[in-house]
Amino acid sequence: MRWLRPIGQDKLAALSLFLISTTLFAGLFAPFLAPHAPDEVHMELRFAAPSWEYWLGNDQLGRCVLSRLLYGIRPSVLWVGVALALSAGIGTIVGFVAGYFRGATDAVLMRICDGMLSFPGYVLTLAVIGILGVGLENILIAFALMKWAWFARVIRTSVRQYADSDYVRFAKTLGFGDVRIMARHLVPAALPDMAVAASSTFGSMILQISGFSFLGLGIQAPHAEWGMMLNEARTVMFSKPELMLAPGIAIILVVSAVNYLSDSLQLALDPRLATSRRAPHSRTVAESAKLQGSEVA
Amino acid sequence: MRQRSVIGLAALAMVMALLAGCSGGEKNHAEAPSDKGKVRTELTYAAAKDINDMNPHLYTGSMPAQGMVYESLVENTPDGIKPLLAESWDISEDGKTYTFHLRQGVTFHDGEPFDAEAAVKNIEAVQSNAAKHSWIQLSTKIADVEATDEHTVRLTLTEPYYPTLLELAMTRPYVFLSPRDFVDGGTKDGVKGYHGTGPYKLAEHQTDRYAVFEANESYWGGAPKIAKVTAKVLPAGETTFLALQKGEVDFLFTDDRGTDSIDVEAMRRLEDSGDYRIVRSDPMNTKMIVANSGKQGSPAQETAVREALWQSIDRETIGKQIMSGTETPAETLFSTNVNYADIGLKPRDFDLDQAEKKLEDAGWKPSGGDGIRAKDGTPLVLKLYYDANSASQKTEAEFIQSTARQIGMKLELVGEESSSIASRRSSGDYDLLFNQTWGLAYDPQSTIAAFASESSYYHATSGIASAAELYRKIDEVTASANEETRKVLYKDILTIVHDEAIFIPLTNGSVTVVAPSDLQGVSFKQTQFELPFEKMYFE
Repeated sequence: MRWLRPIGQDKLAALSLFLISTTLFAGLFAPFLAPHAPDEVHMELRFAAPSWEYWLGNDQLGRCVLSRLLYGIRPSVLWVGVALALSAGIGTIVGFVAGYFRGATDAVLMRICDGMLSFPGYVLTLAVIGILGVGLENILIAFALMKWAWFARVIRTSVRQYADSDYVRFAKTLGFGDVRIMARHLVPAALPDMAVAASSTFGSMILQISGFSFLGLGIQAPHAEWGMMLNEARTVMFSKPELMLAPGIAIILVVSAVNYLSDSLQLALDPRLATSRRAPHSRTVAESAKLQGSEVA
Repeated sequence: MRQRSVIGLAALAMVMALLAGCSGGEKNHAEAPSDKGKVRTELTYAAAKDINDMNPHLYTGSMPAQGMVYESLVENTPDGIKPLLAESWDISEDGKTYTFHLRQGVTFHDGEPFDAEAAVKNIEAVQSNAAKHSWIQLSTKIADVEATDEHTVRLTLTEPYYPTLLELAMTRPYVFLSPRDFVDGGTKDGVKGYHGTGPYKLAEHQTDRYAVFEANESYWGGAPKIAKVTAKVLPAGETTFLALQKGEVDFLFTDDRGTDSIDVEAMRRLEDSGDYRIVRSDPMNTKMIVANSGKQGSPAQETAVREALWQSIDRETIGKQIMSGTETPAETLFSTNVNYADIGLKPRDFDLDQAEKKLEDAGWKPSGGDGIRAKDGTPLVLKLYYDANSASQKTEAEFIQSTARQIGMKLELVGEESSSIASRRSSGDYDLLFNQTWGLAYDPQSTIAAFASESSYYHATSGIASAAELYRKIDEVTASANEETRKVLYKDILTIVHDEAIFIPLTNGSVTVVAPSDLQGVSFKQTQFELPFEKMYFE
């Protein structure tokens, strides 16, 4: 837990971490925390203002906005996390294999990545939805299919840097197995890049899934999802603008927190920064900024 | 990277500021509703879709736009059939020959005279594409059409067909296009121009942006007072609302698929501003859920399931809450003011206990932990398709979903484009979908004829036990010359579909118009598909 200390010192990061863990916790335990069932309809409470019983008021069907917000964490954050873990997992394996073994393996894997990366992300997601139909699971499948190549690229670059270093060569000479070298010597070195890549992607994925749900392509009614709640609020945005606030603010908070945390994580996890404070870390920052740029594009 | 986030936030704030700045910007295009200096003569209405192909003998065009440009021989009014392009007509004793005496001095927008020859060419053009028009039964009964002199047209039918005049009065296809626009003597492969005889002519059309209609100065009924009507394509919802507020458009009406593009609350706010007023027609149609009895493997095949769904819908609340009291609950497919429909059908009240009992009796037992019923391994799950552009349908769907859930019926909601729903209706690929009856001019005869038409409700009705009997009666009713026989047959037909609960009524829908408050003469036709712009004027 040594790496937690720098985060503790960084107030913003600590706040972000707190916010994210609270969100995850609330999502996991939504059935216990939510004051009402998320799809319990009370037509007489249509568009009711916040009250003691319904803290955030009621939506167009008189459903409890707070409960829907809490249940909405599951598709909006938790399932996105699963998709992220999946694509990061595939990406990491491919990236390590390509970066460590080089040669033909590397060339073949990277050409596959090139192929995947040459499609704009949104278009590919829309294509997958077009083939498999609308629904949350299909978007998540599309995310996993689409993002792994990007992870593989990032991790391969980072692995290549260290695969040539003396201590890795030394380990090879001593006859350690490839898997052991990767696990002992390369994973810790590549971890900061992985963490930064994963966390920044996490933010953009949350935004994207909300976007797709907003367009009606994601989770289907009556299940709650933040993007869909925004879309439902949109139809009454001039008569009941306050309905947009809850899901809107939730998305902003979580995505900002994820982004701030990804900054701090990078500083905290970089072994070079941890062992020698003198080493310039500007290089890593510049590199990840470049990666971020390509992600946004 | 923290810096990057800060920059991102700053950029976001700037974009928001810019957007906010825009809304205070200039008022463009249509004159602002509050601009009361001179008498205005222009209207701009918001349309969710492009006017599309204006060929009046095909079905892709926007009906309100076609209604402005083209005219039929006769007109359907609250007082019955009235003359339009035909000044008078005679019907032979045997009901098989119709002789129309055409109005003289009528010209098409391109100067071509409208005479018997032009009328015959148009009707022949429609007939040559008969398969497209099979939903309108008249097209299958016309044996011959000929010009007996310059202003007389004689229509001969293969058998007596009582709704002939009603069907000739429809917005399409029996309307008239200048023969000079014909391609190879017909219209089915496209046309060269869109010159009708109506009060407005199409002046400009930019696909997916706007279409401009100008008054036809030489209109036989006198030039309309509104000199220019523009149809502007705008997405439904808040964009349209903002456009109305800014004066970019100043007119709005329920579109031809029955969806209001802004919600009831938003309309109220426009009315409160004093710039607009809301005009609602009398109930014109019935909004309903169509259950597909013909879909193999779907629980919707079972009468008990359809009846249970019928009884699990709280129409009272839909009308009062979701539609804010603007629509009344509908208990039967056609409301009693529709011809032949006042036959005392027994309403099925909203009653969850009874609905549950019906399912129980039919063998649908609760199974599993989630309380969804099942029978022989088939879960009671139905897909309900709604128009994703409609402000109210999704809410209604979710509301119905929540009450149906209480009787152990699971509805999966799927929002789609209205055109995709229409194609599902004709291909039969659905369990349940939102629809509406076709309006006073079409109810009941055309809507009922559509029960048997492949392109409409054939799939929905094909799965019931008495389907063959139903189709036979539908064939008989239009051919019967005797009013009493017709009454009996219509009663049988309506009783069959009511007992089978194929068409589950929700509310009685009407056409809603949001118009500038100083616009006078806003009235309605007998159909939800057209608006008489030529009768409107500013004060």
